[in-house]
Amino acid sequence: MGTARRTGRGGATVLAVAALSAACDVSVINPGRVQEDFLLRAEAQAAIVQGIGRAASEAHNWVGYTGAAITREIHPSGSTGTFGIQVEWQNGELDYETINTHWNLSQRARWWSDDGISKIEEAGAEDPEMLGKAYLWAGYAYRLLAENFCDAVIDGGPRQPRSIYYDRAIARFDQAQAHGSSEVAMAATAARASTRAFQGDWNGAVADATLVPDDFVFHMPYHSTEGTTTHNRIQFASQAEPYKAHTQKFTKYEEYGLSENNPDGDPRVPFRITDETGDAAVQCCGQVPWWPQTKYPDPGADIPLSKGAEMRLIEAEAMLVAGNWQDALAKINALRAAAGVEPATASNTVEAWTELKRERGIVLWLEGRRLGDFFRWNRDNRPGDRHPLEMASGSQYEGSHLVQQDLCFPISRSEIETNDNLG
Amino acid sequence: MTIRSFETRRAFRIGAAGVGAVLVAATLATAGSAAAQDGAVTGRVTDAASQRPVGSVQVVLVGTSLGTLSRDNGRFVILNVPAGEYTMRVSRIGYGAMEAEITVVPDRSTEQDFALAAQALGLDELVVTGTAGAARRREIGNAISQLDVERDVVGPPVNVDALLQARVPGMSITQSSASSGGGAMIRLRGNVSMTQSNQPLIYIDGVRVRGEGFGKNVPPVGYSGRSNNDISSPLNSVNPQDIERVEVIKGAAATTLYGTEASAGVIQIFTKRGSVGEATWTGQIEQGFARNLTFGPDPSLRPPSENATSLSGGRSDFLFINPWLRGRKPNCDDAVVVEGQPCDSGLFSDIGAYQQKYAMSVGGGARDVRYFVSGSFENDDGVLPNDNEKKVILRGNFSFTPLDNLQIQWNTSYTNDQLSHTAAGNNAHGMTLNTFRRDRNYLNDESFNAINPFLDQELTTQIDHLITGVTATFTPFGSFTNQLSVGYDLAQQDNRNLRPFGFIRAPTGILSTSRFEFNTLTVDYVGSYDFELPQAIGSRFSFGGQSVTERRELTTAYGENFPGPGDPDVDNAGNTLGFEDRTRVVTAGLFAQNVFDRANKYFLTVGFRVDGNSAFGSDFGVKWYPQVSGAYIISDEDFWPQSWGTTKLRLAWGRAGRAPGAFDAVRTFSAVGWGGEPAFLPSNVGNADIGPETTSELETGFEGSFLDDRIAVDFTAFHQKTSDALFSVLQVPSKGFIGSQLANVGELVNRGIEVGIEGSVVRKDTWTLDLFGSLALHGSEVTSLGGVTEFSIGGFGWVIEGEPAPVVRSNCVTNPDALADPVITGDDPGEEKCIHGPNQATTIASFGATFGLPYGVTLSARSEYQGGAFMYNGPQAAATRRSVRWAGCFEAYNTWETLGYEALTAEERARCDVKWYQSDFAIQPADFFKIREVSMQAPLPDAWANMFGASRANLTLSGRNFFRWVDPLMRTLDPEVGGNVGYNTQVRSMTEHVPPPAYYTLSMQVVF
Repeated sequence: MGTARRTGRGGATVLAVAALSAACDVSVINPGRVQEDFLLRAEAQAAIVQGIGRAASEAHNWVGYTGAAITREIHPSGSTGTFGIQVEWQNGELDYETINTHWNLSQRARWWSDDGISKIEEAGAEDPEMLGKAYLWAGYAYRLLAENFCDAVIDGGPRQPRSIYYDRAIARFDQAQAHGSSEVAMAATAARASTRAFQGDWNGAVADATLVPDDFVFHMPYHSTEGTTTHNRIQFASQAEPYKAHTQKFTKYEEYGLSENNPDGDPRVPFRITDETGDAAVQCCGQVPWWPQTKYPDPGADIPLSKGAEMRLIEAEAMLVAGNWQDALAKINALRAAAGVEPATASNTVEAWTELKRERGIVLWLEGRRLGDFFRWNRDNRPGDRHPLEMASGSQYEGSHLVQQDLCFPISRSEIETNDNLG
Repeated sequence: MTIRSFETRRAFRIGAAGVGAVLVAATLATAGSAAAQDGAVTGRVTDAASQRPVGSVQVVLVGTSLGTLSRDNGRFVILNVPAGEYTMRVSRIGYGAMEAEITVVPDRSTEQDFALAAQALGLDELVVTGTAGAARRREIGNAISQLDVERDVVGPPVNVDALLQARVPGMSITQSSASSGGGAMIRLRGNVSMTQSNQPLIYIDGVRVRGEGFGKNVPPVGYSGRSNNDISSPLNSVNPQDIERVEVIKGAAATTLYGTEASAGVIQIFTKRGSVGEATWTGQIEQGFARNLTFGPDPSLRPPSENATSLSGGRSDFLFINPWLRGRKPNCDDAVVVEGQPCDSGLFSDIGAYQQKYAMSVGGGARDVRYFVSGSFENDDGVLPNDNEKKVILRGNFSFTPLDNLQIQWNTSYTNDQLSHTAAGNNAHGMTLNTFRRDRNYLNDESFNAINPFLDQELTTQIDHLITGVTATFTPFGSFTNQLSVGYDLAQQDNRNLRPFGFIRAPTGILSTSRFEFNTLTVDYVGSYDFELPQAIGSRFSFGGQSVTERRELTTAYGENFPGPGDPDVDNAGNTLGFEDRTRVVTAGLFAQNVFDRANKYFLTVGFRVDGNSAFGSDFGVKWYPQVSGAYIISDEDFWPQSWGTTKLRLAWGRAGRAPGAFDAVRTFSAVGWGGEPAFLPSNVGNADIGPETTSELETGFEGSFLDDRIAVDFTAFHQKTSDALFSVLQVPSKGFIGSQLANVGELVNRGIEVGIEGSVVRKDTWTLDLFGSLALHGSEVTSLGGVTEFSIGGFGWVIEGEPAPVVRSNCVTNPDALADPVITGDDPGEEKCIHGPNQATTIASFGATFGLPYGVTLSARSEYQGGAFMYNGPQAAATRRSVRWAGCFEAYNTWETLGYEALTAEERARCDVKWYQSDFAIQPADFFKIREVSMQAPLPDAWANMFGASRANLTLSGRNFFRWVDPLMRTLDPEVGGNVGYNTQVRSMTEHVPPPAYYTLSMQVVF
């Protein structure tokens, strides 16, 4: 590890005098920080790639957790503080003043992936597969932005349509596919499928999705040993020590998830019933029973980013878009059969869309994807109903307790107030 | 013999070193030639009004190098005085000097006593702080405050912070919490920086010591509040009984010679030195207790739905934590008290937190060596159940005189401070938060047995603090003095933070052990040369340099998931982590100063300092700090009637700075881990042009004594401008660096007036009455943001152009008094928010009195008011938004329940109905008045003292902070309560702390 060490040039004269009495060494030291020059060296490349991945994981953590609250994959049951769900988010509002962290971390992940890759490319990649991994993380950083943020801003530039994120994500996935290991290439294919689906390029999405086997899963790693910023935030916040910040009570998953109350429930949506309440009273409904999710058993539980089951649902959705609801339903039921749950039924396109929307909620539960789904279905006026408990009821005191439901993160106050190009 | 009092009118340019040289020379002379023709001079110095002995009086034989200091009992002795006739002069801060003509005869002791008259304004008192070498007060063009502990302080202060509280005009000292050993925020003329420390520099006997707080005892990962959330102050490594005097300079006009880090002022402490003669032993015993005043609404205000107490016996006037507060436990007869619960059974069973202290010192000396050695031990429980402080302080001050023209002073102190704390502050694993939030705490249970296990967390700290400094003063010839000082301040702090296996909120256990090392190496040289210029203008040229090297090292071991109960080490844990952090910053400067003196009444001082600092940007260079000041003793003019008293006019202008952080200048990346592999993340943008912020100050005023020296007035007006202010410039997040970057872009202005008045109202035989008071009116303003966006610095504190620095701003209710739902402004983009006011007090006033009563009894009182500030009541906000039934809303709940919701005002609805609640509605005025101290001291009859071999003894009964008034709108807690980072923060705001308690102490001091 390099040690940062420097001396003010202009102060040399005075410092020289001081050196007579101060052991002759007048530099600042702080060995924990690394100056930029060091990052251009080959031996720094592995840590750059790791850093790009970590930055993406932190962004995914925040956006996924808050998105889960807005879409009512989870319901608030307490904390509004550090690991809690702020009152605005409890109400379904993504206010531009409250989402600075989400914006900042997502932008850092995007910028650092581009900057880090350019540093590696400039110095010459020591390990092409490692560079492939960097491309993949960069793609996921852009996909996160594409699926969750209302507008695009690149490197302090002006407001742009969010489609620029799709385009850049796909470009990075192309590079990852070309340079990465077989696992990275497969993940890039799957991620590109989902991005193309978001983009509305269903032919391209299906072309990619069909290349991904049913059992493929690529995860965003989280860790239980390196402090809370690397923990799986959804898991950590749901636990009793001390947050108990969210619950499955008052969510649609209460109805058909696997729990002590419903032993035949869907095992892909597991949670447990406790006789405890959340860590504080919630504005909507007082003290809320605490029924924590168990999909993620510990803070080191990884979050899937791409998987075969999602690909089958992309194929099903493409069929629905094409009007073929029967085959779409069959795709859905194949997944349900594999999970050991009853098949879904539908008698027309609208009902099939309803089933697809529900199934994506189950398959991609707590994976940071639901907000993007809501956005694009709304954008594209897709038929089919969402469950009332995942829609705004217009009141803090009724139904989902969502006063409103914002479907994307706006440009944050932190960007608006510092970026001269945003006026 | 004749005795006369006089006022010095002639040039008196010996400086501190010179004084030392005189004394040393005296001892050398006396011991070096104990010829048969020699005699001795002995005597006693007393206060003319009270007849009390006066110690630390300089006693010199004019025209010789013979002299000494009087001891605490007022006695002095000068040995080996050649026979002959002499003029004796005695002088001391706070008294008019006196002279006496004496004749010394061989082999005999000549007795000469002095009764000194108190003097309100001592223009010939020596001042050291802020000058190059020592200077007489008459020469100095800036304001300086001096506290003479023996003269001004009655009774034993708890610590140095308490000693200084309400003593100096314009100085605010506020303790953040009831945590044992907690330090205090010190502000001199408010904030001069929005991003850097505003704590003044601290010097002890010329040695720079750490001014910032010690480290917080908190694990390196997870939420940063798993702690008692307060920090100790290095200032309290000094035993207050060891202090002789304190000098305080408050602004850049006075602190220029301290350079880059002195814009927030300088406090210098001088400890006692021994005087020639036999050893004088002084012992002191203190016994006392601490207990809290109420800090919540009276239970009688509760709504009908509320019981008088919580399930554990907690009352609303203590925010329900009194079952755990020493001195405030519920009565044992209360039905709510459960088996094993501590309670008050009467007969002083719960009088408070026991405080005890034992101290001993000895001072004395001979011709070549003088010494002062002291030791003290205190064992103080805190009001919270796990709180305790055991502190040992040892000190040795030695003066050596190896040559007539060389004096060496070596002062060393060692402090061992062992602290135990209760988890507090905004801490979900803490006692305070979980009691304040009642049954909606993290257990959903307010019963005693539910909450009590939070005490299982162990928070212990040990601080070993060594301060040593050597000063050599060499005077090769009479008008040329050299002084070289080397000081070393080393503090090692060991923190242990254990939530043991089975802990209620971390069942598998978490342990963090950390070691801080702070050290500061200071090397100072100053030379002074006195010479005459044409036109009878005296001149003293001083020059020198200073180097300060500060290091901070932190190593932490962290473990979680222990296999079972026991007393664990970190390596017993299932998961372990290690952390290290090291920084070093060097500041070095050169300075020069010249004092011109015409007729001992016109003084002009010009000087400068130039600094380099290793935290400056590579393109920045060095920083110049000029200084000019003038003093005019107008009362020495012929036209000034003597009946008008003594008056000095002064005017000063100067600059000082505050350096950026160690690595603010450089673009850096953090080295972190991810899944056990190293990873880099963008950290700091860097700024190659960064330099210190520079505070320029213009200060003017006068010091005068009037009405036959019975009243002294010190008036100061100041105007400070901090240019190149370091502001946190928010970065554009889409450019990848998401933090802020310091840049020298802003401008702040502080202005104000300070008045101090001391009056000797009654001075009759054994009856005296001295009154003192001070008033400081301060205002600040951000005059330029330098083009950057207004920004928050936490706790609703904002930096906004045209507003105080910082200003408290929030959303607010525009129809507060209407019986209607609140109309809220500030919620939406573009909607105007409310400016409440400054975060620092704009009015600081103190008032006190000292009564001298028959039989040597003294009664002293001191009080303080601070007003004009606003602060965020975090505990209220955090509780109310969680639907906690907050005690601060009891009146509103009462109205609601008895008269209906429509009877609530919009403000009450917004503040107390969770439907409307926002944290913004917890902004409250922070005005308060407190009686800081009342002490009564009485001497024991000599016969009683003599019974155990003492020459004198006295008893002192003291009460501190036992009365308070706060603004009624601050319904809970106390305006002095601080946040989660201890006392050193730019914005005062509250977290879940118990306020500092009142202290009651009985002490006995015995002099042998």
